Amino acid sequence: MTTALMLTTSRDSDGAPVLTAAGEIDMSNAETFAAALAAAVRPESRPLVVDLTAVEYLDSAGLAALFQHADRIEVVAGSLLTPLLTVSGLTDLTVVRGR
Amino acid sequence: MSDVFAADAEVGRDLAAVDWKRTPVGPPEGWPQSLRTAVSILLSSRFPMWMAWGPGLTFFCNAAYRRDTLGRKYPWALGRSASEVWAEIWADIGPRVQNVLDTGHATWDEDLLLFLERSGYPEESYHTFSYSPLRDDDGALVGMLCVVSEETDRVIAERRMATLRDLGSDPSVVRTEDEALAFAALQLEGNRRDLPFTVTYIFDENGRARRRSSTGLPPGHPVAPAILGDDHPWLTVAESRLVPLEGPGLPTGDWPKPPREALVVPLLRQGDAPYGFLVAALNRYRPADETYRGFIELIAGHLAAGIAGVRSYRAQQRRAEELAELDRAKTTFFSNISHEFRTPLTLIMGPLDELRTRLDSADPAILDELEVIHRNGLRLGKLVNALLDFARLEAGRMQARYEQVDLAATTAELAGVFRSAVERAGLAFEVDCPPLPEPVLVDRGMWEKVVLNLLSNALKFTFDGSIRVTVRAGRGEAVITVADSGIGIAPEAMPRLFERFHRIENVRARSNEGSGIGLAMVKELVGLHHGTVSAESTPGEGTTFTVRLPFGTAHLPPDAIVTPGEVAPVLAAARPFLQEADRWSPGSPPPGPRPAGRPGGDVADIVVADDNADMREYLTRLLCSAGHRVVAVGDGRQALDAVRTEAPDLVVSDVMMPRMTGLELVAALRGDSRTAGVPVLLLSARAGAEASIEGLDAGADDYLFKPFSAAELLARVRANVELARLRNHHARWRTALVDSLQEAFFICADDGAVIEINAAFTEITGYGPEGLPYAADHPWWPDPEIDPEAYAEVIVAFDVLMQHRQGRYTVPLVHRDGHRLWVAAAFNQVRDPESGRLVIVGTFRDVTDEHYAIQRETALASLSMRLSEADDLADALAGACDELRGLWQASYVLAAVFDGADPPALTVTDPEMTWENAPRQQLLSIRDRPMLTPVTEHTTGAGIALEHPRGTMVLWVGFGNQRPFTEQDQTLLALLAGHLGQSLRRVHQIDQQRETALALQRAILGPDQLPAGFAVRYEPATRPLKVGGDWFDTVPLPDGQIGLVVGDCVGHGLPAATVMGQLRSAFRALLLQDPSPARALSALDRFAALLPGASCATVFCGVLDPASGHLRYSAAGHPPPIIAHADGSTELLDQGRSRPIAIRPHEARPEATFDMPPRTTLLLYTDGLVERRRRPLTDGIDEATTAVRLGRRTPVEDLATEVMTRLAPEDGFDDDVALLLYRQPGPLELEFPAESSRLSAIRAALRGWLERCGVDPAISQNVLIAAGEACANAIEHGNRDHVGGLIRLRAAATADALRLIVTDSGRWRIPSPGDSPHRGRGIMLMRAFMSEVRITTGAAGTTIDMQTRIAT
Repeated sequence: MTTALMLTTSRDSDGAPVLTAAGEIDMSNAETFAAALAAAVRPESRPLVVDLTAVEYLDSAGLAALFQHADRIEVVAGSLLTPLLTVSGLTDLTVVRGR
Repeated sequence: MSDVFAADAEVGRDLAAVDWKRTPVGPPEGWPQSLRTAVSILLSSRFPMWMAWGPGLTFFCNAAYRRDTLGRKYPWALGRSASEVWAEIWADIGPRVQNVLDTGHATWDEDLLLFLERSGYPEESYHTFSYSPLRDDDGALVGMLCVVSEETDRVIAERRMATLRDLGSDPSVVRTEDEALAFAALQLEGNRRDLPFTVTYIFDENGRARRRSSTGLPPGHPVAPAILGDDHPWLTVAESRLVPLEGPGLPTGDWPKPPREALVVPLLRQGDAPYGFLVAALNRYRPADETYRGFIELIAGHLAAGIAGVRSYRAQQRRAEELAELDRAKTTFFSNISHEFRTPLTLIMGPLDELRTRLDSADPAILDELEVIHRNGLRLGKLVNALLDFARLEAGRMQARYEQVDLAATTAELAGVFRSAVERAGLAFEVDCPPLPEPVLVDRGMWEKVVLNLLSNALKFTFDGSIRVTVRAGRGEAVITVADSGIGIAPEAMPRLFERFHRIENVRARSNEGSGIGLAMVKELVGLHHGTVSAESTPGEGTTFTVRLPFGTAHLPPDAIVTPGEVAPVLAAARPFLQEADRWSPGSPPPGPRPAGRPGGDVADIVVADDNADMREYLTRLLCSAGHRVVAVGDGRQALDAVRTEAPDLVVSDVMMPRMTGLELVAALRGDSRTAGVPVLLLSARAGAEASIEGLDAGADDYLFKPFSAAELLARVRANVELARLRNHHARWRTALVDSLQEAFFICADDGAVIEINAAFTEITGYGPEGLPYAADHPWWPDPEIDPEAYAEVIVAFDVLMQHRQGRYTVPLVHRDGHRLWVAAAFNQVRDPESGRLVIVGTFRDVTDEHYAIQRETALASLSMRLSEADDLADALAGACDELRGLWQASYVLAAVFDGADPPALTVTDPEMTWENAPRQQLLSIRDRPMLTPVTEHTTGAGIALEHPRGTMVLWVGFGNQRPFTEQDQTLLALLAGHLGQSLRRVHQIDQQRETALALQRAILGPDQLPAGFAVRYEPATRPLKVGGDWFDTVPLPDGQIGLVVGDCVGHGLPAATVMGQLRSAFRALLLQDPSPARALSALDRFAALLPGASCATVFCGVLDPASGHLRYSAAGHPPPIIAHADGSTELLDQGRSRPIAIRPHEARPEATFDMPPRTTLLLYTDGLVERRRRPLTDGIDEATTAVRLGRRTPVEDLATEVMTRLAPEDGFDDDVALLLYRQPGPLELEFPAESSRLSAIRAALRGWLERCGVDPAISQNVLIAAGEACANAIEHGNRDHVGGLIRLRAAATADALRLIVTDSGRWRIPSPGDSPHRGRGIMLMRAFMSEVRITTGAAGTTIDMQTRIAT
């Protein structure tokens, strides 16, 4: 049994691609998350918006997937994840914003 | 599987497998909700439970019950009727079950004895259990639920402990083996459950086993013959073993059926075959396991110790009797021999008196001789009479005839006859005897002996001053004293003063004569008059003897009283005393015979030296015919040796002789101070003045030319002897004196050479005068090579000898034959009046025996001291080794115990030493030798084998120096080893008893498996007990609740502990039955009311829901628990209070609640923690409150220690103390397989726990991330080597911090730079979110230990 995670791909009002995650991301489902990320990222198009507002938990395996695409994504996260993204240094490479 | 069985996988599966259709309850699908609920509660509980449901009483049970009680009946029992399942005990429990079903009332049984057949045989077991009714959905009674706790171990442990305690409780001194065995039998008889019957066999002097005591057996029962045949299976020597019991009519003890087996245990004796053995029939209803056997072996150990005690007592007594018998024989002998002396003595004295009268005018010389004979005859007569009197007194054959006398006058008259002797001795004599107011009855003859003996004694030991005799009237008695100003008596000699044949040695006296019976007789004679005699003395000042005689006649037998008869003259009795005293006076002739072997008059000892045999013979014949005694030798050398051996009166020597001429002989004699005075008469064929002058120049006394006439020679010899005697009178006197000394005597010249010695010297050292002079180093000194230590001692003493004017020392010497001896010497420096040179005059005494005796005593005493301080066997052995090392200045001492382990267990004073570098060869060879036989290995060491409780032990003393290990050392080693063996055995027994006692006590205190988050401390007031009247308990209850109990029975020590054990078990079961503190306490009231000693106990009981922190509680007279909040505020749980236990047992009790906020700390305690004399209880509670408040940031386990330390009075707690600490919430402890799929559930659990801890959500998230990374790493890295390992997570909180520990069983891998950059991010996150992270990798796995603050 893997950790519950729901991934949805869509576009935002500006037409940018959005990957919305809900649930928890840990080493048991990080690959799924990474695969979804890889599929949603388009080279030479607009950065992918990764919406982690509904993510309750994210660990280093999930972070690794984000780091891999750091220069082609924007991350939207709630206050719960902010300290983690800051501490991990992702905020230095990627735009991280609240909604 | 039906859902109803889901709560327990295993038992549930077996329940599901039951063919329910065939049972009265039918298939589970049709079960009412009430049954389903009951089954599910049953299965989810961790307490042993079973239930019976429906008209068929269908049996259900849970896993705990299966494990503890059901045994091999599982799973057969499931679904059957309870009456079938428990057929063997249905007679006991059936009525109880029925009662519950009929009345709806619960039952309660404590320690009920049930014979369960769960292990293949009926087993004695004890259970405390309750039966509660079960109702169906309509509320009708349909079944019962039983909650059981098994108490078998505790009940049996208590029973055995009681027997052991009774065995050790004999207050009296046991004098015989029969008494010892009878007492033990009486105690063993009291426990027929563990000991259905016992027989004790002791080996008699022929080695046959005789029955000496038995318990539980009718007299003459065939199972235990009075004497065992040689092939009897019970005959055992080495160790205990089980034997089968058979035969009809075996006694059954307290059981329905006879025992099937017995344990035969030898009654071991140190270093020897066993005394005998104990046969203990075993309870067939209990397994013959290690504790059971241990119990019986302890009994056997006790019996053996008892017999050992009795036998040593008997041996001592026998020795005393033998001594007394010897004493009687001695008295009889003296009596007989004295009597035999009297006849010849009479026949000597009669004619002698005749002769003295007839030869009145004869030659004065003859009269002198007669006088000597007469005097000594009288003396002999006096001695013989005294001995006879004494023997008669001893035998009770001396009949006193008491007559009334004027005691003052009689005593004064007796004293009067001594006056002249006293005055001649130069002493003042005072007699002060005024008339007495009342008459005294004495046997006149006896009284004379009393007074004369005392006076004679006083005179003998008084040299200056006076002797004083007084008679006075005391209270109802006449008091007669004889006081002197003599040398006095040393205090240590006083106790034996009146003992017969006892003489005070080495004191100055007028005479050395004496038989040692005078004072003993005085005492006996005074005793015949019902009087007393006593002495007071100050050494150097004098002695006073006081005799007290009662007035009147009341104390005397009437038929022994006679009318005063004719008074015989006092003088007759006094004459021998006076004669004796006369010879002590300075003016009287010299005492005793002349020195033996020293001829008087013209007879002389002569050494003749001539190389011509004819001449030698002629001279010899000639001199012998004149009455001289002659030693003839062939040359000057031999003559010199003869003279040095014993100085003669004269040396007659030829001049011309081989080896040493006459002139050389003269020179040698004159050169030696010891022989310088021996006169020498030289014979020479060379006539002429020159020859004669040459001889005289050389120092010869006279010169005679051959040929000479016989008359001329004899005349010269006589003249020279007489001349020399005149000249050498003093020298000879001195030589005789010196030789008669019993102490060794020596004179040492100023260069250290010994130039003169006496006979005792030769006897002690083996070196005779022939070797004189002995230059330093003297040959009797120890060899500096072999024994440098002893040599050094002698050198120091020798320096003292040479440097000081006088002194004393004790030194080791070596006898000529090589054996070691010790002498105590005293010396003085003297100036030789002739030569003017300084010489040292010394004497010494052989104190070897004393020295070794003291050494042995000292060594034994200090070893005993060390052993008595030892706490256990190891400690005793280490102490003993250390002691022995010190004793012999050994380089090390080693003890190897061959207990079957390889290598054997070593105890060594040298920490560097192991079995590898130990003298293995020697140790192994000594191991195989007989016990207690010392072995010396030339230079390496000495060893001995002895018995250690765990096997043969070899003790090895490794030599540290060159000092020889003498025979005495070996004796000492054997002595000490024997002593050590006994002590080790004793210590071992105490160890065993202590261990058993502890195990038994732990059984009372109960298992302490604490739920997580609790810390407890327990300190009983009565040491060495480990239990007291206080207790604590945590009781896991249904729904995850926990019962917290702290209680305090009245008193402490063993009695309180036994009450405590029962209350504790009872309360535990009550709480399980009804988890309400107030109601459980009420139930306990009723229980305790029936239990002696339980009344007035105080108890606090709380029921905690650890999930919510909700606590219900009730206190029965117990001090209030303390709460410390996370912010440092405190409060007391002082609601829900009421009276102590069993006071008004039928009144209800109150209950209160308290909700523990996160991270509060709760302290439950007994009053021993806080109660102090002369201080209000509240002071103590305040102090405890402070301790908990200050310790709220400390983990509870450490806090428990802190509280105990902080509150301990200076000299320790004087009452039992129990405390229990808990912090809400308890720690989170999770264990899960290393699979990433588990992470989500782990996070959920941790999140819930953090909420219960009241941790702020943001911090919570950080902790979750750190924990998640730690777990992920453990899964990813920690278990790469073996799949399926387990990971443990533990989280615990204090008031302001939490600690998280993740442990796995794999090897952590430190990320290397070559790895993906994302690796290692996990550690970075942990460090970022926790204030402290420690990663430890070991062989067993990796531990990540993280802490962070969660509040300020």
